[in-house]
Amino acid sequence: MTIGAGRLALAVSRVDHPAFAIRDLSLHAAGGAASLTLEIAQLRIGASEFRRLTLRCAQGELGYPFISCRGGRLRIGSEDLPWRIDVDLDLETGKASAIARGEGAARADFHADANGRLHGRIARLPLADAAVLLQPLVAAPAAWKAGGVVDGEIEWLTPGAVKDAAAPDGRLIVHGTIDGGSFGSADGLHAGEKLGVDFRFDASRQRGRWRGAGSIDWRSGAAYWHPFFLEAGARLDVAGTMQGDRLELQRASLRLEGVDALAATAVIDLRRRHLVNGALTVSRADLAIVGPRWIAPLVAPQAAERLRFAGHVSAGVHVRDGVLDEVDAAFDQAGFSLPGAAGGGLALGPVSGHVPWRAKAGSRAEVSVAGGRWERLTLGPFSLAAELQGDRLAFARSSIPLLDGAVVLDGLAMQRGTDGWRGSGQVVVEPVSMRLLTEALGLPSMGGVLAASIPALKLHPGEIALEGALLVSVFDGYVQATGLRVREPFGVASHLSADIEARHIDLAQLTDTFRFGSITGFVDADVRGLELMHWRPVRFDARIASSAGSYPRRISQRAVQNISALGGAGASAAIQRGVIGLFDTFGYSELGFHCVLRADVCLADGIAGARRADDGFVIVRGGGVPALDVIGYNRRIDWNELIERLQRVISGKVAPELR
Amino acid sequence: MSYMKPRRLSRLAGVVVLLLLAGCVTINIYFPAAAAEKAADKIIDEVWQLQDGRRTPRPSEAQPAGQGSNAEGAKP
Amino acid sequence: MSVRVWIGILWLAFAGLLPGAAGAQGNLDIDTPAIAALRTSMQQRHLQLAPLYASGAVGLAGDGTVALRDASGVPLAQRGQVSNLVAAENADRAALYREIARANGHPEWEADVRRTFAQRWIERAQAGWWVQAGGNWVRK
Repeated sequence: MTIGAGRLALAVSRVDHPAFAIRDLSLHAAGGAASLTLEIAQLRIGASEFRRLTLRCAQGELGYPFISCRGGRLRIGSEDLPWRIDVDLDLETGKASAIARGEGAARADFHADANGRLHGRIARLPLADAAVLLQPLVAAPAAWKAGGVVDGEIEWLTPGAVKDAAAPDGRLIVHGTIDGGSFGSADGLHAGEKLGVDFRFDASRQRGRWRGAGSIDWRSGAAYWHPFFLEAGARLDVAGTMQGDRLELQRASLRLEGVDALAATAVIDLRRRHLVNGALTVSRADLAIVGPRWIAPLVAPQAAERLRFAGHVSAGVHVRDGVLDEVDAAFDQAGFSLPGAAGGGLALGPVSGHVPWRAKAGSRAEVSVAGGRWERLTLGPFSLAAELQGDRLAFARSSIPLLDGAVVLDGLAMQRGTDGWRGSGQVVVEPVSMRLLTEALGLPSMGGVLAASIPALKLHPGEIALEGALLVSVFDGYVQATGLRVREPFGVASHLSADIEARHIDLAQLTDTFRFGSITGFVDADVRGLELMHWRPVRFDARIASSAGSYPRRISQRAVQNISALGGAGASAAIQRGVIGLFDTFGYSELGFHCVLRADVCLADGIAGARRADDGFVIVRGGGVPALDVIGYNRRIDWNELIERLQRVISGKVAPELR
Repeated sequence: MSYMKPRRLSRLAGVVVLLLLAGCVTINIYFPAAAAEKAADKIIDEVWQLQDGRRTPRPSEAQPAGQGSNAEGAKP
Repeated sequence: MSVRVWIGILWLAFAGLLPGAAGAQGNLDIDTPAIAALRTSMQQRHLQLAPLYASGAVGLAGDGTVALRDASGVPLAQRGQVSNLVAAENADRAALYREIARANGHPEWEADVRRTFAQRWIERAQAGWWVQAGGNWVRK
């Protein structure tokens, strides 16, 4: 230091003060005292560092003990600040004052008194200017735009008369407000508008170390911090220390809507803008509020508008050496639901339990699910346990009650990749009675049971493949589904495909169940390439034929009329109206129907190989006494119309049409 | 068979081997790039509602502001 | 054996090869119900996406997706919705590419279908829309 009381030098290489440090200061007076130029190569205030500061005074006075500057212009690096600065300095008493006036009403007054107390008042300071001054401190890239004004006070108190080791070197008190604040990154992914913020910091410095506390109260405005939209109403209280570039927050608590308490500790490297260590605890967050705001945009943005949350979650997150290390989530009566595009969908809850995750070790998650719903089916209570390791998830055997049976998941393991989840496992459906299942699905009541054994369930992005068979024993025979595939399970194009094989289905029970009249006999059916969208068949190649064997084959008058009605004007019973009315039942030798559904049209055919000269196709071939044939003529049947007619037939609201 | 000369037999064997080879190659189905482009264009026409399938859009398409965009639609 | 005979054999071999290759160049099946559902969904969403393409908020990325490019023109409160809209469109697009590959019996074609679509979306984008070329955004 080459500056001393009563003596003034034009060049200073070094000034070290608890609050600031200066390197290479020089002062030039040109043309006597007419103008003054102050240059500082490096100025450090706290953690902020400025390089190449220049203050040029249009009118200056360099004397002893008074130095003054009028109409000064400040330049930092290559940036000119739009301020006119007046400075008065009394070297004898140490009193100093500086007034800076910017555009509009912007004004900053600083006064230093004889014992080193510094007081500043800032009024209507544009945030953009403040951002330039604070840039080394605020972790925002230069491309960000800032707006709004700051009003506030800043006070620097030097130590009192008593000097002991524990006394601080100084105390800095800052408080103020930001009004009409805004910021924005170039890509718009981080932005704030109409921000109103109150802030207050009080920090003491002792042996190179700052210790203090502060608060930030976000009163108004909104912000978008991709992918989150945030609205005013949050308050942050912090307490911590800062040494060099290292900021340690010993206590930070955030008051946020929907969360009982949010507390954090952190060690931040300000120079590298890097979170070294951190811990965050969230106590009892209301999922109905934090779910749509914080979870959905992050976890499932494509379904964010459909996802519903309920219940509570508490969580803890740890970051070590800049890497996410531990996450714990505890659910309390949480509920999740994803309504399907056409109603139904999936719902789980209430869910309670603990889900831990460790970066470098395995962990075990255990949750109990009190119930659920999938489409129209209600799921009973079950528990889920899973081993978590990095991106891997391995479920323990779990049994999900479904009506009077259960869906048992075994050895299900999944791994998350860049394009989604992949995995495999086994599924067994323990027998579910058809009576309860049909009741739940709103279908006419049927007997029998449904069971499934899927030795290989495979999960790919966009597909769940079930290698195995789903077997329904019903109507004295069975229906078996193989090659089950669920594609795009959570998207608009969600569809299910399978091959169906039905054998020895008792028509008497079937027609009775659907009130279709009465047919005795048995049929086999093969449906290849069945595709269901929203549970409606959209594609298949189906063939129904009488089962082989010897059994009574009778068809009632009403069933004949109904079959004819299904075919619309194109179908007819090859018998005269008068004759059909005379008998209640007719004998038949064979029945068969073939329908290829494509683009809402059923391409129909009858008994295989039974071609007729008039291009009709035989659906029921007569046999015995009295006998009759049912012949279809319409080979292209509108599928929706067919379903409509079938529903009318079943509800008994159809007038059979006969030719 | 008995009068077939060994030379001719070997030639026949060569033909059979090559045909088999060709058969193997044809089992490999290459991605039909041209057909895929056609399919893509057809879907793009429909999704972007380009009437004539060329690059020129419909007049209504050129001024999206005129379309009834709902709350999620944003204007600059 | 004469050279002519071998040329003949080779010619035969290629003749045998050609129908297979030519046969694969027919049409791709895009008329499945799942693809139809995706087309309808994307067409409806396009009403909301079109002004965003025009303003440059959303651009057509090089990998067959759409991307939130510059949200600064979108009102703050709607940026989250636009981000969700982009995610929903990309979910549909991923499903579309998978479905086309599946519908034609070759699930392994998904990446090729995606690449083809990526080129066509960009190629056919309207003037003024932003597209990604070699990783950089350019305005058409």
